[in-house]
Amino acid sequence: MSGARILALTTRIMRQIVRDRRTLALVFLVPLLVMSVLYVVLTGSSGSVPTLALVRPTGAGSETLNALIDRLLPPASRLKTITIAAGEVESVLNKGEADAALIFPADLATQLARGEHPRLQLVLEGSDPSVASAMRENVTALVRQLDVALAQAQSQRGQGQQGAVPPVNVLATSVLTLATPRYLHGGPDYTFNDALAPVFIGVFSFFFVFLLTSVAFLRERSQGTIERVLASPLSRGELVMGYVCGFTLFALVQAVVVLLFVIFVLRVHYQGNLGLVFLVAILLTVSGVNLGIFLSTFAQNEFQIIQFIPLVFGLQVLLSGIFWPVAQLPAWLQPVSYLLPLTYANEALRDVMLKGSDFAQIAPQLAALLVFMLLMIGLSAVTVRRQVA
Amino acid sequence: MAESSQTGAHSLATGASEPLVVCEEVVKVFGKLCVLDGLNLTIGTGETFGLVGPNGSGKTTLMRILAGLVRPTAGSVRVLGRRMPEPAVAASIGYMTQLSALYLDLTARENLRFFCSIYGLRGQERERRINEILERVELSASADRVVATFSGGMRQRLSLACALVHRPRLALLDEPTVGVDPELRRSFWDYFAQLNGEGTTIVVSTHHLDEAARCSRLGLLRFGKLLACGTPQALLAEAGTNDMEAAFLHYAARERRKEVTA
Repeated sequence: MSGARILALTTRIMRQIVRDRRTLALVFLVPLLVMSVLYVVLTGSSGSVPTLALVRPTGAGSETLNALIDRLLPPASRLKTITIAAGEVESVLNKGEADAALIFPADLATQLARGEHPRLQLVLEGSDPSVASAMRENVTALVRQLDVALAQAQSQRGQGQQGAVPPVNVLATSVLTLATPRYLHGGPDYTFNDALAPVFIGVFSFFFVFLLTSVAFLRERSQGTIERVLASPLSRGELVMGYVCGFTLFALVQAVVVLLFVIFVLRVHYQGNLGLVFLVAILLTVSGVNLGIFLSTFAQNEFQIIQFIPLVFGLQVLLSGIFWPVAQLPAWLQPVSYLLPLTYANEALRDVMLKGSDFAQIAPQLAALLVFMLLMIGLSAVTVRRQVA
Repeated sequence: MAESSQTGAHSLATGASEPLVVCEEVVKVFGKLCVLDGLNLTIGTGETFGLVGPNGSGKTTLMRILAGLVRPTAGSVRVLGRRMPEPAVAASIGYMTQLSALYLDLTARENLRFFCSIYGLRGQERERRINEILERVELSASADRVVATFSGGMRQRLSLACALVHRPRLALLDEPTVGVDPELRRSFWDYFAQLNGEGTTIVVSTHHLDEAARCSRLGLLRFGKLLACGTPQALLAEAGTNDMEAAFLHYAARERRKEVTA
């Protein structure tokens, strides 16, 4: 490996990128345009069925209360519920088994009997703002209904008359109050865009680098310059390294632009380590460069490269958890998601930017990206060798 | 195997003690197609060796084998005393491909700079060589123009410059004069003669038979077989003609008779 020869190749590639002003402008402006449009279009609605974990009252006289709660719960098609113990709340939410937990006081029945005003606590997982806000609505409605039912039961007991108190009055003198929800991550002012923005950094750096490398390498073949380059002392490893360096530098500049736009123009919430964001971007970019080299050998012209976009990119956009979580995909499709690098990049980028995760917490995703990167380098090295029969 | 380990002992510097290029029973098969069929060929230091033959005769494949880009299916090829493909020889070879093979989005100077750099030239020396060769191929005035704006002849001249800028000991020129007008063709051949005079060994392929006369020796190639090999004068004399085209047809007919009797 000669640094000077790799540098020569890297310099040439950077110069070629800079020379092509139109492509350069598109590569930097298109991501900003797409993000801006999405920012306007998306208002945080999502059609998923959230899961609510219930910490039920357990003290004396709780059976009738629990039966009442079950009767008032929305249908399972709108809200799934599970019952957990009081100590499990954070672990259940962090594992993603539920999106929120509603905690009833254990001695709810006793408190009611004493005429007290028991407090319920809602705990939201919160990293998906649309799920969090839907959950708040669901739970508020549930608690209101419960409130009405309990007030009616009390007034029946007290006055011996059926339905004498209209629900409106009952609401005005609520028996229960719902405390302000507590978010583990994010907050009430988070929108779907906050969850989407981190993902863009990965998507754009992978996509453009893949596209530019495959076209550049295809040209290298169709113009015949690859023959010249390979007849020179430049080794195949140096060729791959030169490409990787040139395009990775370029992709990092792009990642910075996207990141600055996301933080300062779109004003997306973010609380993470920038170094980790760039580490993910680097791993993804090197994979993209090598995938580009590999796939370009199966294309005869630029038009055929375009055909690879739906395969490489469309599939990943749909399956890597950008717009809906991988967990919501049909079971048989989920393993496919875990073969795609963007799935891991998205998880890592979201964890870093939304939850402020550190290196150790995203280590599994980084490891998966590293494996994918090495696999791609192997594939491209084999193809470069094969190009010269 | 014993032979290759012997030749491996030759260093690049003492490679002059044996012919620059030695091909022995070289066979190259692509799929079912036999492109080179038992080729034997020796090219000495300081020659201008012409590979002459119609399209599909195996000229380019032989060039690519000599450049170390293709591994022969059978037989042995030694260049500068080393069995090919051998990366260590690459720095001593200049290869001009059939396509002009240039980066169209870069200027002439940037193309030359890139090829210089991957051959290990740097700094002042690199710039000096670039200016010198631009002068030689008469592109100094257009050096800082993007190659996409160049005419076919200019591209061909730059392509030649890129193959020679690192001053190789062996120049492999694959049909350098294809699509080149007669005037430029003549100036190319004058340049080859000049290079040769400076000690560069040249292997040049062509299907312009009139260019053949300017080579020190010729190899007539057809269907991957060497029909005949020798100085232009000897080849003409043996065929009993003073026309290279007639001579080529003579040797082709002789080969066909051999095939029939075999």
